[in-house]
Amino acid sequence: MKRKLVFVLGIIAVLVLAAGPVLAHHGGAAFDQSKVEMLTGTVTQMDFVNPHVVVWFDVKNADGTTTNWSGWLTAPNKLQRAGWDKHTLNPGDKVTVTGNQQKNGSPVLQIRTIAGPDGNNLPTFEQ
Amino acid sequence: MRTRVLAPTLAVAFALAASAMLFAQDRVGGARAEVPSGPAPAKDLTGVWMMRNPPGKNGPWTNYTYTDPMKNPPSLTAWGEEEFKKARDSNGGNYTLDQTNDPVLTKCYPPGVPRIYFHPYPFEVVQTPKQTLLIYEYDHWLRRVFTDGRKLPSDPDQLWMGTSVGRWVDDHNFQVETVGFNEKTWLDRLGHVHSDQLKVTENFRRLDAGHLEVDIKMEDPKALAKPWVTTFYYENRPQWELGEISCSGDYLDWSQVEKGGKEYKR
Repeated sequence: MKRKLVFVLGIIAVLVLAAGPVLAHHGGAAFDQSKVEMLTGTVTQMDFVNPHVVVWFDVKNADGTTTNWSGWLTAPNKLQRAGWDKHTLNPGDKVTVTGNQQKNGSPVLQIRTIAGPDGNNLPTFEQ
Repeated sequence: MRTRVLAPTLAVAFALAASAMLFAQDRVGGARAEVPSGPAPAKDLTGVWMMRNPPGKNGPWTNYTYTDPMKNPPSLTAWGEEEFKKARDSNGGNYTLDQTNDPVLTKCYPPGVPRIYFHPYPFEVVQTPKQTLLIYEYDHWLRRVFTDGRKLPSDPDQLWMGTSVGRWVDDHNFQVETVGFNEKTWLDRLGHVHSDQLKVTENFRRLDAGHLEVDIKMEDPKALAKPWVTTFYYENRPQWELGEISCSGDYLDWSQVEKGGKEYKR
């Protein structure tokens, strides 16, 4: 049974690698991997910190209210080697983010892609 | 039990497949690092090294465990098998941070050897006349490999990362033997265990200026019915400097972020 499980985990690993090294060290079981959300919002804060970079952004809802989402990326040193620094995103910047949402419904995303103010996707991994 | 575990796992696998196909093309990587070319220098491993898949091969399990789990699973003793059944790993995507019993993710225990290589960060080699230093970006781990001719201790202390001695077999092969581990760490990210009888042999083979292979052999008569062997592949990254990644409170508190905890916000 354990070996079957390991095999399936191996399949998941293939797919995760194919999708990119998002799930670097903390696993992704808390996030709904069956659905990818796309959100556009305005950055309120970026934490360029250990162990994962977190981008906070306001998203306007259909009912006129605003929700402050958080989206997490890989480690800051890995993003640094991909070209980021702590000023890559600043409060007020428009971002379009895709990612998997927390299964419990919280406004938390495991970010897959993130486009900055110029509309281009920012690098999310080092090479 | 099998259905309970496999069904959600398969669902996750299919979901990831779908999302991978949809979004893999959109993901953007940083500028591709230049790998040095030229012949391998003699008796020299110095530099920053990053694990990569070898050319033309994809060893996805290498981010989690050492060998293909179906084609070449580890041969475990009865004790090793029983202990493995208790593992609730997180890195494989099966358990959340609240559910896992991974000693790194729940307690920030040092990862041990050779699990340290699964952390997706580079390591640096610094050679001095009597020691070769293996500096891992993850949690600033340092392994001192003594090259002053001493023997492995016959009755070693139990340490997180063991006691290591090394020697050059020839100009391009550096062999490191490590013994003296406690039993608190996992061998890999899936939860295979080891005992204090674990012995790890690493052979660092400089293929050329830009590439390194590391053969790893794990021997443990209590946990492994026969040695578990693998080979990792690395590229040289002269432009990179090791940064800081600490298994600190923030690392452990990540379960709060994972659940949407706003108290993490600073």
